[in-house]
Amino acid sequence: MIWAFLCFLVAFQGPSSEALRHIQAGTEAEKKRQFNVAITEFREVTRLEPTVPDGFVRLGQAFLENHDFGGAIPPLKQALKLNPELSAAHQLLGYALLAQGYAAEAVSHLQKTDDKAALGIAQLEAEQLPDAVVNLQAALANRPNDPDLLYYFGRASGLLSKQSIDALLANYPDSARAHQAMAENYYVLRQMPQAEKEFQEAIRLRPDTPRLHLELGLVYAGSSQWSKAEEAFRAETKMQPGNAEAAYQLGNALLQQGMMREARAELKRADTLQPEMPETLYSLGKAASLEGDAASAEKAWMKVIEIEKTSDLAAKAHFALAGLYRKQGKMEDAQREMTEFKKLQDTATRPEGPQKQ
Amino acid sequence: MMHRLRWRCCSGLLALASVVASSTPIFEVSLPRGLDFTHRNSPTTQKYLIETMGGGVALLDYNNDGLLDIFLVNSGRLTSPMQTPETFDRHDPQYWNRLYRQNRDGSFTDVTAAAGLSNAGDGNYGIGVAVGDYDNDGYPDLYVTSYGKNVLYHNNGDGTFTDVTAKAGVAGGGWSVSAGFFDYDNDGKLDLFGTRYMEWDTKHSKTCGGEWHTYCPPEEFPATTNILYHNNGDGTFTDVSQRSGIAAKKGRALGVAFADYDDDGFTDIFVANDGMQQYLFHNNGNGTFTERGLEAGAALSEDGRRLSGMGVVFQDYDNDGRPDIIVTELPREIYGVYHNEGNGLFTYRSLEAGLGVLSSGSSGWGVGLEDFDNDGWKDLFVAQGHVLDNVEQIDPSLHYQELPLLAMNQHGRFQKADAGVSSPWAARGAAFGDLNNDGREDVVMTVLGGHPQVLLNRAPKQHWLVVTLRGTASNRDGLGARVRVNGQTRFATTAGSYLSASDKRLHFGLGSSDTAKIEIAWPSGAHQTLNDVHADQFLEVREPERP
Repeated sequence: MIWAFLCFLVAFQGPSSEALRHIQAGTEAEKKRQFNVAITEFREVTRLEPTVPDGFVRLGQAFLENHDFGGAIPPLKQALKLNPELSAAHQLLGYALLAQGYAAEAVSHLQKTDDKAALGIAQLEAEQLPDAVVNLQAALANRPNDPDLLYYFGRASGLLSKQSIDALLANYPDSARAHQAMAENYYVLRQMPQAEKEFQEAIRLRPDTPRLHLELGLVYAGSSQWSKAEEAFRAETKMQPGNAEAAYQLGNALLQQGMMREARAELKRADTLQPEMPETLYSLGKAASLEGDAASAEKAWMKVIEIEKTSDLAAKAHFALAGLYRKQGKMEDAQREMTEFKKLQDTATRPEGPQKQ
Repeated sequence: MMHRLRWRCCSGLLALASVVASSTPIFEVSLPRGLDFTHRNSPTTQKYLIETMGGGVALLDYNNDGLLDIFLVNSGRLTSPMQTPETFDRHDPQYWNRLYRQNRDGSFTDVTAAAGLSNAGDGNYGIGVAVGDYDNDGYPDLYVTSYGKNVLYHNNGDGTFTDVTAKAGVAGGGWSVSAGFFDYDNDGKLDLFGTRYMEWDTKHSKTCGGEWHTYCPPEEFPATTNILYHNNGDGTFTDVSQRSGIAAKKGRALGVAFADYDDDGFTDIFVANDGMQQYLFHNNGNGTFTERGLEAGAALSEDGRRLSGMGVVFQDYDNDGRPDIIVTELPREIYGVYHNEGNGLFTYRSLEAGLGVLSSGSSGWGVGLEDFDNDGWKDLFVAQGHVLDNVEQIDPSLHYQELPLLAMNQHGRFQKADAGVSSPWAARGAAFGDLNNDGREDVVMTVLGGHPQVLLNRAPKQHWLVVTLRGTASNRDGLGARVRVNGQTRFATTAGSYLSASDKRLHFGLGSSDTAKIEIAWPSGAHQTLNDVHADQFLEVREPERP
């Protein structure tokens, strides 16, 4: 695709008839994917027209098509010597240099083109991470579903994040943020005892840092230590009374411990702070149901379904409603909800590829 | 603000009360003289799933001397990899199942060879055990499940057993797990239900977990059917799995328990399935069953999630007279409490019952609801330990070896108590019964690749009553009867838990009451009431003859 596009870019300027014959032969050979023939033909063009840059560009392009990246570099450099403004030559030379591992040199050429994707990739390889992230993000704006771009953007932003964290750990290893970063890393790796230790150290150093208690609570929740989770979430809600997530997590921790009334109060608070959050509504329904308030439970779960429609949470809400209606003797309603639940469950479990490991 | 302060205050008091309540251990870990069994599961680098699943135990009085004896299922020798044909060297004494006769002084004598139980079959890797008097001769028989063939041992009544599997036609096949005797058609003869885990064999085994190299989850292997055998009354059984509808549902069954949940007079079956929905087979009363788990609300968690069902108990935990279901599971799930609402429906009540906190970090296997402190409320005991022997490396918050869970029942809500066990184990099976006939329920818990743990009940004395049923029209042991004593109900069964069989006698705690009213609904349909029964006795109740 790129190569076809470049053919239009590299317009030829007034060649001799003999040179023209070689150009046509080279172009035909390229069409037939006979790149060695094309290279011979375009090399002849450069011999006949040594001061015309375009022949060198076609030769460089043929080398690239033949995956001979090293061979492409000299003619493309020659083309740029003859015409330093030739954008196509910069672009092709950028590709060739990048393929050969000269990422930093590739960057200087790709910067003279509009190819944000290639530039971003080159910058990523040259460890110019902030620029790489910017350019790959710009490229993704035009091609949002390109898997290659998604990969490179993910890698660039991940490395940038790591670079920043590495700097933090190297320069301020005893800071609260360094311990927080370590803790988050351990959390992702599911090394909960280490995560707990690091979060606790971060809290000791800077107890007023937002989210620290919340994240520590999530560590406890992840290992089902609900009373400790409650304590951490409670500390976060005390520090940030307006934080809906903290209120939700506290409500959930209380729910797990069977403290229905307290759980419900906290979940209601979360719902007030940030209305229409499906997770909050689902848990709120659960707390209401456990407290025997069927009407409120039904209302909350129906709202979840209205918002979520076909998600896993919606399936759960259908299932919960089925149980609620069964308990009330509304068997038809229960059956309807159970049918919806099964429908969503079937959709969720339909195999899309290899079986889960 | 006042509310918040008051709540904090009360929660502190609750915590204090909990500590006080649990400060005295209920059990004393005992190593009775003569009980020298070591379970040999032979773990390999192949991570054959059978290695981590075995360990059945039965409490039965095989010689009717009034003392409970202990039967322990051994597994066998595995090689890495296994050769074909598979042999587990069960003729080698270290791999024998063992029967230990209890002596008057509380010690045990290994009577395996004398009882004729040493031949477990080289092709059978032992898993679990069921107990029932299938020929109503007054002596309990044994059914041993295996990966391979199952074996039915008829109790000859003279201290010996005879392998009658071939004649009875109950060898099964594949990977059998928990089993149980019950009388599904109320014809007075005990039928036999056997669970099977999955379609798996050593040739098609594999490992999972990438670099962690672990046992695979059940979803990696095809589901399979359970087996129902009808007792023909002449020493033979007929496989009625297809005819009864049991085989219509494939699953990954590990546990099984029986009770008449809808009070229609016919015993129903609950099957604990691993990694999928649980099965509640409703007995239609005409020799067929209909699986109603989902419709009845006893198949999934309250969030509609599948459960890793392993062990199960089907008894009434809240003294409303209806059998409830408790299913043990893996960590990050909560042991499922399905409360029987009385109209054929169940509600999931794990959080209300207090199991959210008590169970979500543990792996549960053998399980029992027994009134350990004789206060009139059945308490919960769970044998625990993760399925993966390297789980700590994968998730340090989980443990291969765990303490058992003992939770005392406070009017339908469970609170953790000190079981008196200080060492964690990779526990599997658990059987319940009064080993020393002191009116307090004891526990025998098996340990994977280790010695069984005998937990003798040392709870403060309260009044109690133990009822032995003597069926006439019903099966001789009255399995399937509903017995109500001073407001508590038990469903007569030896099945439930995981891989294990418990004492057939029915134990009731009476608290401070020194008399009891006994109401029995026999499987035959007969009803019987006994008033002003003295407490603190072992009482045999004979089913009234039909007029």
